[in-house]
Amino acid sequence: MTQSFYAITWTDVFVSLIFVAISVGLIRWWKIGLEKTLLIGTFRTFIQLTAMGYILTYFFQQHHWSFMVGLVSLMIVIASYEGCHRLKKYKIPNLFWILLGSFFITVFIVLGLILKFILSVQPWYYPYAMIPISGMIIGNALTSTTLTVNRFVSEITHRENEIEMLLSLGAPVKSAVHDSFKESIRTALLPNINGLMMVGLVQLPGIMTGQILAGIDPLIAIRYQIMIMYMWISTATMVDILVLNLVYRQFFTPQMQLKRELLRKM
Amino acid sequence: MAINNYMNNSSIFKLDHVNYTFDGLNILRDISFTIQLNDFSVLLGPSGSGKSTLLRMLNYLNSPTSGSIFFNDTLITDYDITLLRQKVGMVFQSPTMINGTVRENLTMAQKWTKEGNGLADDELIEILEHVDLNSEFLYKDARSLSGGEQQRIALARTLLNKPEVLLLDEPTANLDPQLAIKILKLVFQLYQDLKLTVIMVSHDHQTIKQFAKRVAYLIDGKIIEEGNTDIIANPQTTAAQEFIARGIE
Repeated sequence: MTQSFYAITWTDVFVSLIFVAISVGLIRWWKIGLEKTLLIGTFRTFIQLTAMGYILTYFFQQHHWSFMVGLVSLMIVIASYEGCHRLKKYKIPNLFWILLGSFFITVFIVLGLILKFILSVQPWYYPYAMIPISGMIIGNALTSTTLTVNRFVSEITHRENEIEMLLSLGAPVKSAVHDSFKESIRTALLPNINGLMMVGLVQLPGIMTGQILAGIDPLIAIRYQIMIMYMWISTATMVDILVLNLVYRQFFTPQMQLKRELLRKM
Repeated sequence: MAINNYMNNSSIFKLDHVNYTFDGLNILRDISFTIQLNDFSVLLGPSGSGKSTLLRMLNYLNSPTSGSIFFNDTLITDYDITLLRQKVGMVFQSPTMINGTVRENLTMAQKWTKEGNGLADDELIEILEHVDLNSEFLYKDARSLSGGEQQRIALARTLLNKPEVLLLDEPTANLDPQLAIKILKLVFQLYQDLKLTVIMVSHDHQTIKQFAKRVAYLIDGKIIEEGNTDIIANPQTTAAQEFIARGIE
C-alpha cells in the first residue's frame, strides 16, 4: 500500500451531509413527501456504520482462531434467519436448517480455498482477510439463495400440472422438477454471469473503487476484484444447487407425491 | 363397477374403507369397492364430489387419510411407486404439453427409464397410430396442436408405459361434443385392443353410457349406488336420481 490515500476526517463526513441537504431540498420542492424517511435513513446510516467501524476495530484486534470461527458462524446463523424471513411466505419446512447447512458448507469451501491457497494468509484466520471475505461470501450466498428459492416456488406453482403429469407416469421427483430447478438456478446465476461480462466497462466495482481511494495500486485492486468476481460466481453456483437440492424435497412426500397443500398455502 | 366387500381372482383394485380429509373437509368417506380386471368402469357424480381425488389415489398421487388400497392383491404402499404408476396410467382433464415437439412430449416421460432415450421413431409412430394420429405429427410443435390432438398425445404418452390400467379424469371435458365422442370411441378401441382395465371419471352420463360396462355414483364423497349401465337410466337412490335429473335439464 502506498501512502497516497487521504484519510477522511469526521469533519469531512459532516460536510458530506450537504448531499442529504440537496436531496431533502429537492424532495420538498417537488412535494414528494419522503423527507422524514430520508432523514431517518441518514441518521441510521451514520449510527450503524459508526457502530460497525468500532466493532470491526475490536474484531481486528482479536487474534484467536476460535473468535474468528465463532464470528463467521454467527454471521451464517444471522444470514440463515434473514433468508427464512425473506422466504417466510412459502412456509417451506426445515428452511432454516437447509440454509444453515448450505451456507456453512459453501463458506467452508470458498473461504478455505481463498485463505489457504489464494491469499495464503498467515495465520489462516487473519482477521483483515477472514472478516470481509466471509462477509462477502455470506451476503452473496443469501442474495442468490433468496432469488433461486423465490423463482423455484413460482416455477413449481406454475408447473403443477406438468409435475403431476410426470409423476403420474412414474417419473422420479428429481426428473419431474428438473425444468423448474434449471430455470431457478439460471435466474439466480445470470446476474452474476452478466456481471462477469460487464465488469469494468461501465463502472468500477465498489470494492475496487474503495481500494483505489484508500491508496492501493490499481493493479493490485483489480487482482482482488477478479478474485472476488470468480468467488461470487462459485459461491452462487454452489449454494444455489445445494439449497435447491434440499428445498425441492420439502415439496414432496416420501411417496413421490406433490404436497399441493403447501402450494395452496402461499 | 363391481363394488363388493370381498376380493376375487379377477379383481385388479380393491379399496377398503378409504377416507380422505383435506383442510378439515371429508372429501372421500368410507369408500370400499373392487374393480374387476378388464372392466370399463365409470365414476359418475357432480363436480366436487371427490371423483378426481379417488382416481388420483389409484395412481398414488394422493394417499388415503385412512383405509387401504390394494392393486393386484398387494397394498399399494408396498409397491415400487414408479412401477405402480407405469402400470396404472393416468390421463388428466387438460393435457399438459411441454414446449417442444410431439416426439419430445412422448419421450419426456421415458427419459429416466433404461430404454427411454433409445425409443425409435417406428415405435413412436406405432403409438401415434394407436391414437389415430400419424407419423407427420412426430415433429410438430405439440403446443400448436388442437385440444383433441393434444389429448391423443397425452393418451399415447401414457400408453408408452404399457399400462394395465388406464385412469381417465374427464378426458373430454374441455372438448366439443363431437370431438368428445371421437376420443371416447378411441379409448374404447384401445380398451378392447390392448385389453386394458379402464376407470373413467365423468359427470356426463349421456355420453359414456354406450362405452361403460360398470357404473358407480360418487356423490358427496360416498359411493351411493353401483351396477351396470342400467342404473344410468334408472338410478335407485334419490341422490343419483337428482344428479341425473340435473344433467337432463
